[in-house]
Amino acid sequence: MKSVAVTGLGVVSPFGAGVKAFWEGIASGSCAIRPITLIETEGFRCRIAAEVPAGITGSGRRSRADRIALAAAREALDDAGIARAERADAALIVGAVGGGMMETEAWYWQRTRAGAAPMPPALTSCFPSSHADVVGSALGLGGPRETIVTACSSGAGSLALAADLVADGVVPLAVAGGVDALTRICFMGFNALKLLDPAPCRPFDRDRRGMSLGEGAAFVVLEDPRRAKARRARVYAELAGYGMTGDAYHVTAPHPEGEGMARAMRVALAQAGVAPGDVGYVNAHGTATLQNDRIEARAMRTVFGEGRVLVSSTKSMIGHTMAAAGSLEAVATVLSLVNELVPPTARLENVDPEIAFDCVPHKAREVTVEHAISNSFGFGGQNVTLLFRRAG
Amino acid sequence: MSTRVVVTGAGVVDGHTSGLTSRLLDETEARRLSRICQFTVAAARLALGEAGLDARGDLALLVGTEFGDMVSTIAFVDGYLRGGPVGVSPLLFPHTVMNTMAATTAIAVSAKDLSLTLNTWTVAGELAIARGAAMIRAGRIRACLAGGADEPPPKVVQTIREIGGGGDVRSDGAGFVVLESLESAQARGAAILAEIVGMAWRALPARPHGIGRGADSKAIAAALAEAGAGAEEIGHVYTSASGDAEREAWEDAILDRALAPHQPSRRALSLAAGRHSGLAARVVVTAAAEAGDGLALVHAVARGGNQVAIVVAGPGARRERSSPRPTTERALA
Repeated sequence: MKSVAVTGLGVVSPFGAGVKAFWEGIASGSCAIRPITLIETEGFRCRIAAEVPAGITGSGRRSRADRIALAAAREALDDAGIARAERADAALIVGAVGGGMMETEAWYWQRTRAGAAPMPPALTSCFPSSHADVVGSALGLGGPRETIVTACSSGAGSLALAADLVADGVVPLAVAGGVDALTRICFMGFNALKLLDPAPCRPFDRDRRGMSLGEGAAFVVLEDPRRAKARRARVYAELAGYGMTGDAYHVTAPHPEGEGMARAMRVALAQAGVAPGDVGYVNAHGTATLQNDRIEARAMRTVFGEGRVLVSSTKSMIGHTMAAAGSLEAVATVLSLVNELVPPTARLENVDPEIAFDCVPHKAREVTVEHAISNSFGFGGQNVTLLFRRAG
Repeated sequence: MSTRVVVTGAGVVDGHTSGLTSRLLDETEARRLSRICQFTVAAARLALGEAGLDARGDLALLVGTEFGDMVSTIAFVDGYLRGGPVGVSPLLFPHTVMNTMAATTAIAVSAKDLSLTLNTWTVAGELAIARGAAMIRAGRIRACLAGGADEPPPKVVQTIREIGGGGDVRSDGAGFVVLESLESAQARGAAILAEIVGMAWRALPARPHGIGRGADSKAIAAALAEAGAGAEEIGHVYTSASGDAEREAWEDAILDRALAPHQPSRRALSLAAGRHSGLAARVVVTAAAEAGDGLALVHAVARGGNQVAIVVAGPGARRERSSPRPTTERALA
């Protein structure tokens, strides 16, 4: 794959709106996981998550997820300095899972319990594709428009598909990212699977007890490097390769040897023409479930060798933001290259002896890295690895 | 020269093929999978069987869907509403994510390359086929199953109508085409059902769920350019008409302008059968069979503006096409 330039970033995270708030939060190792306020939690084992704080602007006719997506995508385009006239041919690829389900659930709950309920305007945004239609329409993006649903790797997958379109010359630039707001379905489902820790999650810790949920959105602007250079755009990093693979093993469990995960990392390395030893940092999927962390570590050991890279989990600070996770963590990875600082794994006290890596506990690490990868894995054995190169 | 993409198999499971599904599933699949996942697995096996392809490991999967497994999602939610936290089914939860059909199908047919679920109104199946063809053309994947699946619950369809999402006639089903390179198909002596000679997808200006005011189409022009063909070479058009009068009028205006002054005949399979995302597979092979040694256009446009154009050549077409203008040159122009 020909590298594409990352020229714009936009984030809405549990640390608030904006890339600056996100980076300050994760660079300082803060934890944004708190008691849930958005949905009822009575009777469930876990009652915490990382919610986006109040203050996201936008029409109340839109779903919460649409508003979060729009704010992040707008910031990315503004950051890249892409004027409205330049957007007519720009692609928009959105990774999504929950859509505007939060509002639909509220309506459905009320209708079922009370027998009737007025239809809220946001009901039109129930499905995942809503975000792309809302963002594309509001921001005037007229190129290819896609909504990709690959469970928890959706956000990362959106960057991969967008990179294809730019690298192949189908479009000069693309806006790509993932979004998810907290939903009752997601909260209830992971509780039922007993995958949620009642306390904030502790990825890679020997005593970890499961994940924490989160919500948010992150978008990036990907651009043809010649175009970026011609307009003297700021290039944060290059997306130099990606790997997308399937386990074809189990609907919810990853392959026990991490075969598909390792294959995704190897494909990304091969696409970028980068040797494993040239990668200095892995922003891991790192959910804090017993199974995922061990299998991911196994896959990383297969690809990179024991202890050869720094590894950290952004989810230790913002929880698992589902479809947004891959793109939020891609932004974290890009900023780690730019700022020469690897964000930490928060709340990591005793590293699981089966995870033979320096997982950067508590405190960010100052280090200059030339190549970094971001891993994202999802239900259905959907593995995505993005490989970023430091801007030259 | 970029890779030529051909269709070597197709399989559709819907109201026209009732009774077929059970013969294509094993006992465990018949017992454990939801109805839409059963449709999807069965359609995938039908398509692979026709193609005679055993691409184990190398096979990619692209599933377009409007609704995902909404039937299971409603059952999951109703479990909570009836029984509180203890009524929530961990077994149903994975089906609430739209990639459940892709996940179960990937396992069933051992597809270990990338697996994509694409969600959009109306054009989901066509988009999956166009995306798959583009990936083969670019050399990113070797072969894929591309198509879609839907099982729209009646009460959801009714709600969509009530909130102004259009009055499409919908049905249940799943369908796939097998796409691979011409070189690969010829090497293994596969029968060729169609060639995808051009494909493009774009967004027309429109509000979410709305009909656009304009009729200019970038997707049709891009697909024709990719095919190295002029509008006058299109013998007939298969449209996405399925009972939403406003959207159909918009699609007619788009096609009138894009193909003018040429006026190839138009038809729509979904008018007779009801629309589901897997129908795109049947449309592509039907359009190609009808095209003979000529070209046909498969076109779809959704409320909200998503538009897909696929130029297909019939199995008899073996001519060397003029080279399309390189995409990089087009993008930077």
